[in-house]
Amino acid sequence: MTEPVGIRVDMPSWLRSNVGLAAVLVLIGAVCAVGAAVSDRFLSFNNFLNVFEQTTDLALVSIGQTLTILSGGIDLSVGSLISLASCLTSGLINNNPDRIIPVVLSVLALGTLVGFVNAGLVVVLRVHPLIVTLGMGAVLQGVTLLYALGPVGRVPRGFNFLAYGRVYGLPLGATIAALLCLLIALVLRYLPLGRQIYALGDDANSARLVGLRRTRILMLVYGTSGFCSAATGLYLAARFGVGQPYTGVNYTLASITPVVLGGTLLSGGRGGVVGTLLGAFLIALLNNLLNFMDVSKHYQLVAQALIIILAVSVYVERRRMA
Amino acid sequence: MSERLTTSVELARSDAPSWSVRTWLDRFGMVLILPVLLGIGGIISPAFVSPDNLSNLLLQFAPLAIVAMGQALVMIVHGLDLSVASMMATAAVIATSLSGSAGGVVAVFAVALLVAVAIGLLNGFLVTKRQVSPFLATLATMILLQGFRFAYTQGAPSGNVPTLLRTLGAGKFHGIPYNTLVLLALAAVLAVLLHRSAFGRRIFIVGGNPVTGRLFGIRSDLVATACYVISSCLAAVAGLILSGYVGLVDNWVGQGYELDSIVACVVGQVSLQGGRGSILGALTGAGMIVVIANEVLLLGVPIQVQLIIKGAVIVIAAALYAGREIGPDH
Repeated sequence: MTEPVGIRVDMPSWLRSNVGLAAVLVLIGAVCAVGAAVSDRFLSFNNFLNVFEQTTDLALVSIGQTLTILSGGIDLSVGSLISLASCLTSGLINNNPDRIIPVVLSVLALGTLVGFVNAGLVVVLRVHPLIVTLGMGAVLQGVTLLYALGPVGRVPRGFNFLAYGRVYGLPLGATIAALLCLLIALVLRYLPLGRQIYALGDDANSARLVGLRRTRILMLVYGTSGFCSAATGLYLAARFGVGQPYTGVNYTLASITPVVLGGTLLSGGRGGVVGTLLGAFLIALLNNLLNFMDVSKHYQLVAQALIIILAVSVYVERRRMA
Repeated sequence: MSERLTTSVELARSDAPSWSVRTWLDRFGMVLILPVLLGIGGIISPAFVSPDNLSNLLLQFAPLAIVAMGQALVMIVHGLDLSVASMMATAAVIATSLSGSAGGVVAVFAVALLVAVAIGLLNGFLVTKRQVSPFLATLATMILLQGFRFAYTQGAPSGNVPTLLRTLGAGKFHGIPYNTLVLLALAAVLAVLLHRSAFGRRIFIVGGNPVTGRLFGIRSDLVATACYVISSCLAAVAGLILSGYVGLVDNWVGQGYELDSIVACVVGQVSLQGGRGSILGALTGAGMIVVIANEVLLLGVPIQVQLIIKGAVIVIAAALYAGREIGPDH
């Protein structure tokens, strides 16, 4: 039990840690197959780039969420933090290009700080992260509304490059999200810190007994989640050109879906960020397909729910076999 | 058999068998926080404790309390129900779309409860048979209901809330709201069910110690599924009452109740880890949320500050009440 899960190399674990990825890839394949039958344009490279671009916000926020869930917790403050970050970005920059760099840096720092506070409260108060981050979410939403009751400020013309820009043909925001995901995946796999996150999520008691520093690990995990939420807020401000106080409200629960689709267990200790990225891509691809099929936006929710149910039910079957 | 079950439950809840003041306080003491909170409200403003305001508090208390009782049952079997708010809104939409039909309110209740039973069964099936985590299973049914609701109403519900529902949701009988009477009836039934029946004991055993439950031959899947069904049905009733209180229906009736009901339970000492909790606790927690929200309103602070205070109170209350049982490692 003291050995962290996710770095064992014997067969069953290898299978187990890849089942999530396999299932997501199968589902992506299925959506692609249906898409190919619906329209020739669906499988075009351009459409894939578009879907990749539309994955950015969900991917960014759920990469951070993956870490908190891996560590055995959850972060329900992400939605409010996204709203706050997007309002502060456009409100403080307020169409002044000179302020872009300082504001972006301070918003990212603020997000990280909020994560630190979340972790600190979890450790000091000994309250379940679900409750701590829920409370933090309410506080942050209040602060956001104190700052702005409606759309606030404006971002300069060039700032939307973050959302719509292409570098060597690749969408900038989505590429940043993918690189961040890669970086975190490498940390999780090869650095002691990564293994400690898995260990803590798998069995907090054993982790304590082998002397892991829970406070430090949680600080880093929730700090990263806060950082990712702030980045999502920046991205949304760039995309809409203005910060809105309720822009992030749906991301709180939505950020959990890609995590679970990607094979990370909600109980912690098992999974990874690459699966999350693919999970987010799957959701964007599914919505894209439904758009191609001219399905009303209302039914897109139904489809999304069904695919969650399908995916998580399949995992169980496979877990039992493994 | 049933005697043995009792013993095991009492051990699980670590209740001493004797009726000392201490055990009485342990069980019911948390209710005392409510008079204290009301007293603070009275100091802030005498109008707060006027019969009129108290009766209005009851009016707002009932829907949340009804949802929280269902949430408590689910949490005691070590689950979570995020679909309650979506269920409330769905019931409200059903109420307006059937308001013109012949059966009237009876039809509304019948259809809403039928949908609720279906959703509860789906939640229970996913959690017990497919071993999906409760958080995720109920999140999925939440989105599912939301999708169907939006597709059905095309984004804009129409129709009126039936008059009888309005009376039920907002009417008063000698100052006592009708919805409070409904709440009291439901609370009495649920309290007996949870704390005085064999089924209730099974709920505690399944949630607190599933292995023991299996050894006793308890069909834990059935027990857990029943809890999800009850929770959905209570949410449907609360949705109908709330739509009657608000007087109009949009797609978001009951928004926020899923998290509020969980907070009410945690504050009311229902364990997130399962196996511990009470109907009284859920009621107390819901009461605290409603009273505190009203006091903040009374202070005249803007709605933004209310959110900040609410968030802080959630965390502080959880730290005071639930901190110890969660232990040093979570």
